[in-house]
Amino acid sequence: MIKSIWELFNKEDLFECYQCARCTGSCPAAMAMNSYGPREILLRCLNLGQEAVIGDERVWYCTTCNVCEDRCPQEINIPELLTAIFNLAAQRGNLPEKIKFGVDMIAKTGRSLIVNDKVLKERQKLSLPALDPLNIDEIEGILKKTGLNEIIELS
Amino acid sequence: MKFAFFLGCVIPVKYPGFEKATREVMAALDIELVDLPFSCCPAPTNMKLAHYDSWLALAARNLCLAEEAGLPIMAICNGCINTLKEVNLILKQDPQRRLQVNEALEGSGHQFKGSIEVKHLLDILQKDVGLERIAERVRHPLQGLRIGCHYGCHLYRPPRLMYPDDLSEASSYVPVSMDHILAALGASPTQYSRKFLCCGSALGTNIDAQPANEITREKLQHMKKHRIEAVAVACPSCFTQFDRGQMMLERKYHDGFGLPSLFISQLLGLAFGLDRSTLGLGDHRISLNPILDRI
Repeated sequence: MIKSIWELFNKEDLFECYQCARCTGSCPAAMAMNSYGPREILLRCLNLGQEAVIGDERVWYCTTCNVCEDRCPQEINIPELLTAIFNLAAQRGNLPEKIKFGVDMIAKTGRSLIVNDKVLKERQKLSLPALDPLNIDEIEGILKKTGLNEIIELS
Repeated sequence: MKFAFFLGCVIPVKYPGFEKATREVMAALDIELVDLPFSCCPAPTNMKLAHYDSWLALAARNLCLAEEAGLPIMAICNGCINTLKEVNLILKQDPQRRLQVNEALEGSGHQFKGSIEVKHLLDILQKDVGLERIAERVRHPLQGLRIGCHYGCHLYRPPRLMYPDDLSEASSYVPVSMDHILAALGASPTQYSRKFLCCGSALGTNIDAQPANEITREKLQHMKKHRIEAVAVACPSCFTQFDRGQMMLERKYHDGFGLPSLFISQLLGLAFGLDRSTLGLGDHRISLNPILDRI
């Protein structure tokens, strides 16, 4: 359980940011969604603190392409900051439905997509090996130990 | 050569034809693939964002399965390669994290040792098999087809984790493997603006497909400008954007791109002259006929 994003990201690194906006200028999500930009998230974290961003649904527009880190002239690890924000946001219940569904599927089956009869038949037609159910007790055991129940219900 | 075959979640379920093509191509190159009971990698676009520690431990379990079999991993999806390579590197370098993960793994009987490598199909083809051997195996050259490569972000970003040994002096890196492989197959890999722009996939799968498709459209427009005839991808999520996404874009904008996209194994299979019924050519929404007629 984390209480602050600064447990996962060194706040000192943010002071390196001089708001050049190369990250936002390179960001595909910012291109598609006007209300999103890594520079803006950095600024709000610095000036207003983590509470100003972790409840904001728009942080999830990130495509995780990592181009912001690639291009930051100050070598700030922006994806690491965003991952810290996402993790705390998820814990507080700010987690997009589709991500929650995927995480839930992984916890219940070990896979993020449903393997149904149609899939199995299609694979059989191509003489591909069957997708046998995974050892879910083992997987769930690991996820219980790592505390996944902080964000979703585990059996 | 022998690898543990990391299928991931998307390819075996949504695009089994790509898996079939990969198995056939690797058999033609005398590479043995072993199936192990891997779980989801888990993806850098969901589990990592939602719960970092769970992401780390579940990825470690997958790495352990390969370690116990004494095999390096071959991945064919950018999400998988991103997670597995990053976690492998973190756990090899950070004793604190390794301790924490091995504690979580204790009840499962696995322990991370750091004894294997993880590679994407593209790097196995370029570096382990070699371009010469690939060229020797070609029976139907790709006739100078103007193919635009889309590598996909998670394959190589961040380069300090994905390609730490290949960084330039400025610590940057962009991949070239797919262009070289396609040239060996007789195609004309064609450059285009915004080649290293994201396809938009995660925005679509996590939030909303429409804005994600707008990012794909930006790429398609540049490809068309450079008279590209087909897109080559090495990731099923990128494929979804260029194929399914393009279909949705067509309904909205009537751009008429008609730009087919192919998974790299399909292009290898076509050039090797493998039985076309084993190459998953029916998995496409954007017609492949204009290029299939030429090869």
